[in-house]
Amino acid sequence: MIDQATIKQDLFKKTLLSYRGPFYIELISVFGSNIKDFTKEYDNTRRKLFRIFIELSQNVSYYSEHFHMVNNVQRIGLGEMDLKEHETFFTFTTKNRVKNSDAKILSERCKLVNQSDHLELRHLKREQRMNSPGEKFGARIGLIQAVMLSKNKLKYKIEKINDKFSMFSITVKVDKN
Amino acid sequence: MDNITLKSSPDTPYFPEVNFDADTGVCEISGESYMEETYKFYLPLVNWIKEYIKNTNNKIELVIKLIYLNTSSTKCILDMLEVLKEYQDKGGDVKVIWYYDIEDPDMVNEVEDFEVESGIKIELQKFEP
Repeated sequence: MIDQATIKQDLFKKTLLSYRGPFYIELISVFGSNIKDFTKEYDNTRRKLFRIFIELSQNVSYYSEHFHMVNNVQRIGLGEMDLKEHETFFTFTTKNRVKNSDAKILSERCKLVNQSDHLELRHLKREQRMNSPGEKFGARIGLIQAVMLSKNKLKYKIEKINDKFSMFSITVKVDKN
Repeated sequence: MDNITLKSSPDTPYFPEVNFDADTGVCEISGESYMEETYKFYLPLVNWIKEYIKNTNNKIELVIKLIYLNTSSTKCILDMLEVLKEYQDKGGDVKVIWYYDIEDPDMVNEVEDFEVESGIKIELQKFEP
């Protein structure tokens, strides 16, 4: 049964940004600037949303299994994203193709992040960053950072496409301040 | 040793502005940092610091004025801090100053994490309005 609060949030809901295609840095930068603009009346939320947006968008850009090669060297991931405004919060969602073998790992990682409190996340973040091989692997703490910033649990879904690939979607909720 | 000077541009806001001065030992990074292949951008900066330390026994000061850095950039900054910590442990004169916005508690937490991870003291300074 849907409660009144959910109905009220749904009535207020509007899409601020929706995109499907390659996640080029130039585009991420323009969308980032749009996000800062759309949410400027919520100073702290605006900062958090921008930071979460960059992390999740760059995850699509680097790791989506549906990708373009630019000049045979640069790999640009394709995927989807949308930013929605609700009465008391925003939601940011990304969706991209992953290998079935990676889907399980991602799901486990989301589960671990959701089960951890703020202090545990901070320890996990430090540990992962220190132990990351760096270079092209980055810090491998994007999901942890998203949850630490939003202070809300991740919503994630894996939908199998075929024997090789699945679609992985992740939603982060950021409360208005 | 040559200085490193990289100016920021509104067309590429994901690259920070960089000023590494070999005469004063002051290394400043400011703006935003969320470029692709972050390590390729930061590697010459880390190497510059290593070279500076090798060639002089002078003081080195890292001044960070980043209003945003993505998690890949944080890994590169940590690499930089680890190099400075090593120099400090060998008797080198090192100072790290991090400018932050008073309304940005997430950045203060980030700096605290850098201190724990690198073992180096970071002086927090508020951005002047």
